This record gives sequence, C-alpha cells and structure tokens, in this order.
Amino acid sequence: MKVIVIDDSSTMRRIIKNTLNRLGFNDIIEAEHGLDALTKLDGVDLIFTDWNMPEMDGLTFVKSVRGSNSYKNIPIIMVTTEAAKEDIVEAIKSGVNNYVVKPFTPEILKSKIDSVLSTL
Amino acid sequence: MNVEYINPFINSTIKALTTMCSLKPQRGKPFLRGSVPTKSDISGTIGVAGEAMGSVTVNFPQEVALKMVENMLGLQIDEINDDVKDAVGEIANMVAGGAKGELSEKGYGFKIALPVVCVGKSHYTAYPKDVPCVVIPFILPEGEFTVEVALKINGKN
Repeated sequence: MKVIVIDDSSTMRRIIKNTLNRLGFNDIIEAEHGLDALTKLDGVDLIFTDWNMPEMDGLTFVKSVRGSNSYKNIPIIMVTTEAAKEDIVEAIKSGVNNYVVKPFTPEILKSKIDSVLSTL
Repeated sequence: MNVEYINPFINSTIKALTTMCSLKPQRGKPFLRGSVPTKSDISGTIGVAGEAMGSVTVNFPQEVALKMVENMLGLQIDEINDDVKDAVGEIANMVAGGAKGELSEKGYGFKIALPVVCVGKSHYTAYPKDVPCVVIPFILPEGEFTVEVALKINGKN
C-alpha cells in the first residue's frame, strides 16, 4: 500500500512516517503542501494531510482530490492541530475520511487507519 | 485577563510535551510580563485572529529545545539546527491549536496562522502596548521554559 504524508513540518512528516513504518507501511512518499502533493498522487492508496500549510492548505487540497476523476476515491486522513469541533465538521464535509488531532499517540494513528481501512 | 483563557494554553502545552516528547513539565504560577521581558534561545510564535486576537509564543532555552527534539525524533543534536527550528514551530502550533479547540467550546472562535520561529541567544518578543502578556512558566529537569499568551478577547484585554 502506497502512502503519501503531506505536512510543511519536516518534524511531523518524520514522526508520521516513523509511526507508519512501525505499523508495516514501507512505501511512503512525502509532500510539503497540497500543491506539491497533487503532482505525486499516481498510485497512492492512502493520504495523510495537514491542514495549515503554505501554497495550498489541506482543506483546498482535499477538495481538489475529491473533485478529480483520477484520485477522488483515495481515503484521506487529516492530521492537524485544528482541534475545534467546527473545524472537524468542516474537514469531514470537505471529504476527509478521518481526523487526527496533534498531538497524537501511535495508538491513535493506528486506530484511525484501521477505521478508514475497514470501510474500504 | 480571565483564567478561563489561560487554562487551555496550560493544558495544551502539557499535552503537547507529554504526548510528542515524553516530557512531563511542571507548571509554575502564571504572571503578567510587565516591563521585564522573557528571554530565550529559540521561540515559536503563532498569530491568532478572530474573537481572540494577538499571539501565542513558546520560549525555550537551548537545553530544553534540544531535549525536546531528541525525544520527538530520536536524534542526538548538539546545537539549534533546522530540525530544532521546525520542531519548535510545530510545538507552538500544537499549543495554539489545542487551546483553540478548548476555547471554541467556550464560545471564542479564532483562526491560527503558520508559526514563525526566532533564534538568538537571550532574545525576547515585543508585544503591542495595549495587549497584556501573561507568562506561563514550566519546569523540566533540563531547565525552564515559558508560554506567553498575548491576546485581546472580543476586543477586551
């Protein structure tokens, strides 16, 4: 399963990537923002994206993916510091499959992945 | 400034450092900064706009910042480099974002900007004169760090 991790913070990309490695995901690519990610989605099976990023934020990116013929069915997990309930609702309405609030534990990330994968 | 606006920042700071860095900071007593600035070696600031306006800054001495990154990434680092700057920005993000979640439940909605990180021995942040700055000290074995909350809530100090 090919995964893309999108976050402008190299620290967060590394933490998410390390966690995914421990969960058995080995085919992981990275992008620094939504615009960068849109050019890297070929063959991707699961997307992790931050919300607040330069160039193209996570919400705009999610809407672009859901509006695209080629990528609209790829599951998306948003990993963000935006912890307000209305933010979570907005993200889900935009097409996010699940939502992880930073800071998170590896167990939380795993449970969200399991939850998304179980619906496929 | 009402304690109602400060507690969410205390909670989000402890949660961020406990969850991401395996560190358990003890909180000190918050105080108004007044004319004596809080000096640090690396700081991360997040701008806030909406029903709360102003900024939130996390200030770390080098020793604390290095320990934080060592625990976050499993890297041994001897000086402040790009990894440390990025991690401090992300911690600032988590402190502001976590508090935003709690404050929005109390009816104070706001948006947060991307973090700005400053590096320099014993530097400090200057705030507008009409915005009170509450300093929340935290203690770790490696040293003390602070979170500065400089906000106007609904146009009030």
